[in-house]
Amino acid sequence: MQRFQFYNPRSVEDALNFLAEKGERSKIIAGGTDLIPGLRLEEIRPDFVLNIPEINPFRGIKEMDHSFWIGPTTTFTEMVESNLLSRSFPALVQSAASVGGPQIRNRGTIGGNIANASPAADVLPALLAHGGELELQSKRNGKRIIPLAEAILSPYKTCFRSDEILTGIILKKLELGTRSAFEKLGRRKAMARARMNLTLLLRLNHREEVSELRIVPGAVMPVAKRMDRTERMLLGKKPEPLLIEAASKTLAEEMVEVTGARWSTEYKIPVLKNIFKRMMKQLLIV
Amino acid sequence: MKKRGIGIGCMYYGMGYGFSRPDVSAAEVEICEDGSIIVRSGEVDYGQGSDTIFCQMVAEELGIRYDTIQLITADTFATPNAGPTSASRLTYVTGNAMVKASRAIKKTLQSVAEEILGERDLLFLDEEIFSESHPERRISFRQLAKEGHLRGLPMVETAWHDITTKDVNPETGQGDAYSTYAYAAQLAEVAVDTETGEVEVLRIVAAADVGKAINPSNVEGQIEGGVAMGLGYALTEEIKEEGGYLKTRNLGEYMIPTSMDVPPIDPHIVEVPVSSGPYGAKGVGEPALIPTAPAILNAIANAIGVRVTELPANLENLHRLIREKERD
Amino acid sequence: MSKEPGKTLLKMKVNGKAVEVMVNPTWTLLRVLREELRLTGTKKGCEQGDCGVCTVIMDGRTVNACLVLALQTESKEIETIEGLGTADQLHPLQKSFIKHGAVQCGFCTPGMLLSAKALLEKNADPTLEEIKRGISGNLCRCTGFVKIIKAIQNVHR
Repeated sequence: MQRFQFYNPRSVEDALNFLAEKGERSKIIAGGTDLIPGLRLEEIRPDFVLNIPEINPFRGIKEMDHSFWIGPTTTFTEMVESNLLSRSFPALVQSAASVGGPQIRNRGTIGGNIANASPAADVLPALLAHGGELELQSKRNGKRIIPLAEAILSPYKTCFRSDEILTGIILKKLELGTRSAFEKLGRRKAMARARMNLTLLLRLNHREEVSELRIVPGAVMPVAKRMDRTERMLLGKKPEPLLIEAASKTLAEEMVEVTGARWSTEYKIPVLKNIFKRMMKQLLIV
Repeated sequence: MKKRGIGIGCMYYGMGYGFSRPDVSAAEVEICEDGSIIVRSGEVDYGQGSDTIFCQMVAEELGIRYDTIQLITADTFATPNAGPTSASRLTYVTGNAMVKASRAIKKTLQSVAEEILGERDLLFLDEEIFSESHPERRISFRQLAKEGHLRGLPMVETAWHDITTKDVNPETGQGDAYSTYAYAAQLAEVAVDTETGEVEVLRIVAAADVGKAINPSNVEGQIEGGVAMGLGYALTEEIKEEGGYLKTRNLGEYMIPTSMDVPPIDPHIVEVPVSSGPYGAKGVGEPALIPTAPAILNAIANAIGVRVTELPANLENLHRLIREKERD
Repeated sequence: MSKEPGKTLLKMKVNGKAVEVMVNPTWTLLRVLREELRLTGTKKGCEQGDCGVCTVIMDGRTVNACLVLALQTESKEIETIEGLGTADQLHPLQKSFIKHGAVQCGFCTPGMLLSAKALLEKNADPTLEEIKRGISGNLCRCTGFVKIIKAIQNVHR
């Protein structure tokens, strides 16, 4: 590991001051489950490491009038144990429960999962499906709020400025009757990097037509995103089997448009279709 | 859709090196003045439990407590060569050397005890040596050890055991290939997700003929561990290489089964003793894992009618076979 | 404690005892436990969170000691295998592991025991699935987990 200085800020302000001065040469550490292997392999060589798990305002899950606020250093275990989240965002909680093993979930954080921006991140796609917004703060510019969908530019690269900290994740409350599902496909049942995951959010109106649909596959594209074209195909229509079948084809096409043909495409096309159809079926039975 | 299937895998395995390759092992047993025992052997226990069973064997021969034995292993400065820990050979080869060395030193002790007790029908049991016909005539093992040392008798014995076979006729393949063979059979039940290529192993029943189980709990542990290795071999484990560089360099990429992947395992110990083994034992080791992959692949074939001929049967590889079958 | 160049004083609690140690910022908790405090019961394995042999309990939750920077443990309570029991006074889990033959090579055992302890502290009577999930971050190559799971299931029987 290349030498660095470790800084333990006592407050948000302290951390922001530190980054205002040394941000470009710094890396923020929360759970460290992604950062420490990177430091060890010297893939990253910061001069300073800023430790944020001890900053209290960065922790916890709060319910507001129309949204939930999740502190960036909330661990996956804390998400899984939160009744508040389990009730309101079951698919998100399932995605958190699918991360690594207990030790990784005890340490890894939601903010870290976002900031690391791995294409195989488990929680990111579920957050995208839930329309997550990020609250960023810097000394120079104060607070700004951006949609998560705009935050990740490319694998392992976010739009966060070097003097900024992710200070919160905001999830709007879902409308009553919204159903959600998450599935992860890995080579083993624990400690597995996702080969693919899929988050679906679905709401039907009183005529049983799709009034809202969000589809976010993970670990199949460099940057996870909602599959707009497929979503639009189903919006306002009754989700009949033939339509779902057609939508699954569009979904796979949308993926390939982003990724191009790779060695794994041959597998991912049929399997993404299959998982999509299976999960839609489950959501419609509910 | 999830489809279930059952498969069987069977094997026989030549213990040791066979085919006239040198297969020898040594053990040394020393009795100290205080009656404690030092055993030296070049054998390596890397988790399979050979240290335990060798202490059991020496304790059994000398009628002493297992925990009075100090075992020194794998130290070229101090221990005689036992050959490698490989070919599932330690129980069978080193075990014989242990028994031989113990019996040699017991002979010396027996002569001392005969002289002291004036009886010949002696039993070595529970740290004592006594006459079967006159059980009141007895001496403690500790005292006997001291008497042996006082008489200046050799209180250390080395034994060498050789199972090297003659070999087979190179023309016909007939002849003396291995000293003995172990047999094993396993049954696997799987559920295959035809939509994703995911295989869940639901249960494994594993029977292994070990000749004689020196330590049944150890043998079960070897069978269960072997099954888990066989499961990884069948489904997830793969060494990848690119341009001469290893790509699977860590345990995140080279994936062995976790506690969530290993199904209930039902181990069955089969004991068909062989006269050439210590107490009839042949050993376990590799025979515990060899039938697992075939049993799982047969179960997959039984479930979905697809024959896997290349390992691992991971998500991508199995789903490709499923698609090929659908196309036909 | 004298000041050493580049090092920082770290104060934490290890197995109930207050510990002060000078550490380099690049050191992990694993390195401090094994090489500074000489608590070598915590094993060093893959050093990237894939194997779980370095598992310790930090403030009640299991962590991979290789994935925590030493300075991140300021004021924290760490429990290692050395704090679980002694040779004369084994922890019930240790006794159960021996009784059920749950140890083969032993390299995963310290971490496995701590994961089991953390699990049982949260959930005194876990189901089979909960046990499997509770130790899923601890790889074992020898046992196939069967006897480990039995030992955890039967710890109080």
